Amino acid sequence: MISSETFHVVTTELVVGAFSVAGLSFTLCLLVHLGVLKQASWKTMFDHVAHFTLAFGLVATPFAILSGLSSSPGEGMNSPILVNKMFLSMTGFGFALGCLLTRWRLGSKVWSTTKSSALHGASGLAACGSMLLTASAGGTFARGESLLDIFHLPYEQVLLFPLLVSFTALLLGVTMLAIGWRRMTVSSIH
Amino acid sequence: MQCGGACHGDASINETSGAILSLSAPDTIYLGIPTTLTLTATNLETSSSRLIGLFLLTDMTGHSDTPQDAGWEILSDANGGSVNYIEHTLASGQNETTLSWVLRASSLGSTSFYAAIHHGGESSSPFFGSTVSGLEVSVQPVPENLPRLAADFTPPTQRLLNSPTELVIETEYTETLQFEWMAEDGLIQNSIVNTSGDDRWTTSLPAALQPTSIQWRVILEGEGPEQTSPWFTLTAESASWEVSENAVYLQAFALLFMTAGIVISLQTRLTASTSISKYDEAPAILEQHTTSPVVETSTAATVAPLPAEGLPNGWTEQQWEWYGHDYLAGKYGGGLE
Repeated sequence: MISSETFHVVTTELVVGAFSVAGLSFTLCLLVHLGVLKQASWKTMFDHVAHFTLAFGLVATPFAILSGLSSSPGEGMNSPILVNKMFLSMTGFGFALGCLLTRWRLGSKVWSTTKSSALHGASGLAACGSMLLTASAGGTFARGESLLDIFHLPYEQVLLFPLLVSFTALLLGVTMLAIGWRRMTVSSIH
Repeated sequence: MQCGGACHGDASINETSGAILSLSAPDTIYLGIPTTLTLTATNLETSSSRLIGLFLLTDMTGHSDTPQDAGWEILSDANGGSVNYIEHTLASGQNETTLSWVLRASSLGSTSFYAAIHHGGESSSPFFGSTVSGLEVSVQPVPENLPRLAADFTPPTQRLLNSPTELVIETEYTETLQFEWMAEDGLIQNSIVNTSGDDRWTTSLPAALQPTSIQWRVILEGEGPEQTSPWFTLTAESASWEVSENAVYLQAFALLFMTAGIVISLQTRLTASTSISKYDEAPAILEQHTTSPVVETSTAATVAPLPAEGLPNGWTEQQWEWYGHDYLAGKYGGGLE
């Protein structure tokens, strides 16, 4: 058996690698859609690569989060960086989940208009960005430095909502997810 | 066996340290009264980090060898903790040091104390050394009416930065108490002591503005002979960061569902409006159907009409099916604008 620290390193490398490829593919997808890249045949390829790598990263993310919790020194969340890592990774998970579900249910129609394409590409890029920020916070926590330190990101500050606000946001999110899912089902029938 | 309470290797791996260790203790040690054991290490030759690790042991067999195993309670160590192993960094040019532990015996009888040292050196092997022989310590019954700290009094070893510390000291058979404390500069100072009776004394220490340690002791007077307690170490550290884990997990899942919900809602709205506009073009499509002798599927009905020259160069039929409208709109160059 390997230690939870080693397992965390393995899973985070899988997550960061997969999300990085997904982010690059989403960018190229948008460039093709906007006509900056003229090869239309690339769009299908980038579309597939972006979503498959995003799905792979999404599968690996829970393992990275759980192994990160068990491998952190001390008991529980004893550092604001760990809390921000949790928030960032779950936000990235949400972006990726929304992006993949819409691509699954709506198919290639997500690229049908400029607005729809922009939103889909932005959600994929937001998922990628959130995961890269999580990795940066991890580097700051473990080694005290990160490549993104040039931006002076406030990893030591935690924006923690009251329980009631979080609970309301959770209910609102689940409701939006359910309504969106219902609309996607109806839309796909049409 | 070369082991000092925590095995860093065995005799075939370790090298023998040239350090000379010497333990000392007061002549008289009473049951339940704190006492100081002092370790002097000389002839120290370490690695460039100048870090040494020192053990206080009651056995050299490698197991059940801590003072706690022999019925002793460690009240204070030199680093502001209460453990039998401490690490110490020597100053440049320093080759000897003196450190102490404050212990309290819980039973009568005699105990042998040993000390061990681990450190690095010029080679990559760890160095190990220990006292040549044990220090025999005998615990005696405490005399009647001897002024002393209460048997269940445990001195604090840590305090928070930037706030004054109020110490509550519990004693027995004590009529007056004098409190002395000493910062790292070695200057001994007195603090005012108040009493609420019942052998309870309170005093206040000034706030520490940076992580540092002070030492304090009390001088007890009563019917019996005057007693001076050992120096207890008190370190100042910043408060540990705490957060409600339930609030964190709830907010994390709220963020997950909120972001996923927002993405799906917006995407559905934008894409649905597209499908409705396509649906609005149904009459034109139906008209196209009626003029065509071949019955096509509903998917084929939404496919953009092929240009006269056929599929664009490098395109497949499936790509045209999905992106033909974009091509005609001129988004891929060479469109029909």
